[in-house]
Amino acid sequence: MEKLGLSQIYISFQDCEVFRCEDLLDKRKMSGLTELKESLLCAIRNYIPYGGLVHKVRILLLGPVGAGKSSFFNSVRSIFRGHVTNQALVGSDPTGTSEKYRTYFIKDGKDNNTLPFILCDTMGLSEKEGLDMDDIPYILEGHFPDKYQFNSLKLRPKGIGNHTGCPLLKDRIHCVAFVFSANSVGQLSHEMVEKIKRIRRELIKSDVVHVVLLTHVDTLDLITKGDLIDVYKCVPVKLQLEAVHRKLGFALSDIFVVSNYTSEWELEPVIDVLILSALKEMLRAADDFLENFPLEKTVVNALNGEDAAAAAAAAKSLQSCVTP
Amino acid sequence: MAVTTTLTWNEERSFQKLLGNVSLRLLYKSSVHGRSTVEMQNRCRCQGPIVTVIYHSNSIFGVFTLGHSSDMSESFIEPNASFFFSLQKNETMEMKTVVLNSTVTFYHNNLTFYFSSYYNQKLSLNFEESRIYIPRIFEEELIVKSHAKSTFLECEVFRVEGIKDEAGYINRITRATQHRNSLLADVRAYSPYADLVSEIRILLLGPVGSGKSSFFNSVKSIFQGHLTRQAIVGSDVTSITEQYRIYSIKDGKNGQSLPFMLCDSMGLDEKEGVGLCVDDIPHILKGCVPDRYEFSPQKPITPKHPTFITSPSLKDRIHCVAYVFDINSMDNLSSKMVAKLKQIQKEVINCGVAQVALLTKVKNCNEVLQDNFLKMNKAMISQSQIQNVNKILGIPLSRILVVDNYASEREMDPVKDILILSALKQMFRATDDFLEDLPLE
Repeated sequence: MEKLGLSQIYISFQDCEVFRCEDLLDKRKMSGLTELKESLLCAIRNYIPYGGLVHKVRILLLGPVGAGKSSFFNSVRSIFRGHVTNQALVGSDPTGTSEKYRTYFIKDGKDNNTLPFILCDTMGLSEKEGLDMDDIPYILEGHFPDKYQFNSLKLRPKGIGNHTGCPLLKDRIHCVAFVFSANSVGQLSHEMVEKIKRIRRELIKSDVVHVVLLTHVDTLDLITKGDLIDVYKCVPVKLQLEAVHRKLGFALSDIFVVSNYTSEWELEPVIDVLILSALKEMLRAADDFLENFPLEKTVVNALNGEDAAAAAAAAKSLQSCVTP
Repeated sequence: MAVTTTLTWNEERSFQKLLGNVSLRLLYKSSVHGRSTVEMQNRCRCQGPIVTVIYHSNSIFGVFTLGHSSDMSESFIEPNASFFFSLQKNETMEMKTVVLNSTVTFYHNNLTFYFSSYYNQKLSLNFEESRIYIPRIFEEELIVKSHAKSTFLECEVFRVEGIKDEAGYINRITRATQHRNSLLADVRAYSPYADLVSEIRILLLGPVGSGKSSFFNSVKSIFQGHLTRQAIVGSDVTSITEQYRIYSIKDGKNGQSLPFMLCDSMGLDEKEGVGLCVDDIPHILKGCVPDRYEFSPQKPITPKHPTFITSPSLKDRIHCVAYVFDINSMDNLSSKMVAKLKQIQKEVINCGVAQVALLTKVKNCNEVLQDNFLKMNKAMISQSQIQNVNKILGIPLSRILVVDNYASEREMDPVKDILILSALKQMFRATDDFLEDLPLE
């Protein structure tokens, strides 16, 4: 009793309470999260782009150097593989690690079919070097092939696979995800903010729907793994969302929070759920883009690309809108 | 066996959400504490609002009782507002609810709920033999099958914590979804007055950032069943929307187009040469401006423009104008903005189209409408923002609508849906008035 700092041997007490100790990430929650993960995996596997207009949607990852774009691709691929894998080179070199434009297909570990989306990874944005603003309209229209090497000479390839030079719907970018690191988004430099706003205006002109991914959420102060279940209710996360909203003007419901797999060896359901939920919203955003795309253009596009199925689908949608 | 619930984590989350984001604390579990109503009463006495969950063969159903069980040894003589819900343990995990006033009795180790509106039906649990008697109303409303000798596997009682305010609580939780669904049906069933047009066109007009594009996204989200973001939204110094868009909305992912179109425009800015050009507005109202026209803040559209629609018919015209404002900045509209709005309103009145006002970004959705959701709360109506709209633009109080768009949420909310759908309904009514008043051609 002396060690506890209590002087007397006999003490009177006012009340006695007994508490049960509960683990934040106990078995019950883990099996609940696994259930959630399975249903998200199922939804993504069965996803069909709006109206069958394309077979796979293209999601472009854009963001400052070191934000976690390539890590996000690695994480998504890991989830479908069943264990952590690293295909894209990642790192925190200030000049950026990705130098090529990469378009990644992902195979579903279960049945070896490729999934209905393509993640397009670019060079990081930086104030002086990095991705060139002028490249962006070309990327959006799909002119750059996989493994295209960004170069300062601006030798850009013309339209791929089609003689009219008109970009095909299937080659365009259907959804853009701005990727920022949650713990440094509040301190983006003024030039970077301006760059991002300019890129955003380009996207608005091209009607490309975009969302925001905040990575490294687990490195925020006061956030633990157990918090990731209800991560949007955590105060530190809310503050970061507010900061992105204020500084860059994105709507709060367009911002998603994830934690990429960096040093882990095995998958964890709570992280998988965050990543898959963000991916699902990106697929929905791509659907919104496809629905919004002017119908006449899609028919022309599909015919040019000699994609009979997509042309038929587009023609059908056009007809259902024209005939009363 | 531990005193932990048999509910899976996801099932518990569904119940918590259904009851309004509350938390549940397990008080009594029949397999651990013994099948005895006395034991149940002892543990659940003085605990406030409780939920009783009964595990049946392939479904789970529960009873939420708000009344304070301060004295559970006596029967509840007064009918107590309670609502019953069931969860099917299948793929869809569908939840169904029904509100019934009930009295509870404990007698001979039987827990029985008598319904005041259905005299000869009751829900009865016999603890000794674990038998349960399921009333016909459950089979109909909650899709719970009953057999002659049904047994229940388990009975758990939870204390409900975190109910924000009790007044109108049950009403909101239960009636909200029902009312939302009936509003949805009303909107789907709408057809323009005398079928003069197949779709009515509602123009969204308002200051930059007031929530016009978000309103379209929100309406579309309701019909899609999940959040959508077809219109790009956000906040910036200048308007995010740069094109004139005429959006039609499908009912569901592949359903029919609904009989209305929302026309989204560039935001109004108080400065000259920025934002929507006031001289574009007469052309928009007449229906001369095509979908996807790129606005130019300095120059209005002219008939020489290649896509200008030279002879618009009734179906191309705007039939209803909705002035969209952020409710939080309504009290500080600059005099320049007010002047611009009045100038615009002159044009609108010239065309004779219907006018409504839409106030967005209201802070507390639950305080806007009365408990029966049929009209706005007096407290809401007397707020300065609403009175200001009435004064400045002369819009009648019944045509001033308050909503909260889906711009910061991640999940659908029936009360938000009710506000948005009610606003749509009022727009339809205003439009029908306009169509009815048109001179016969």
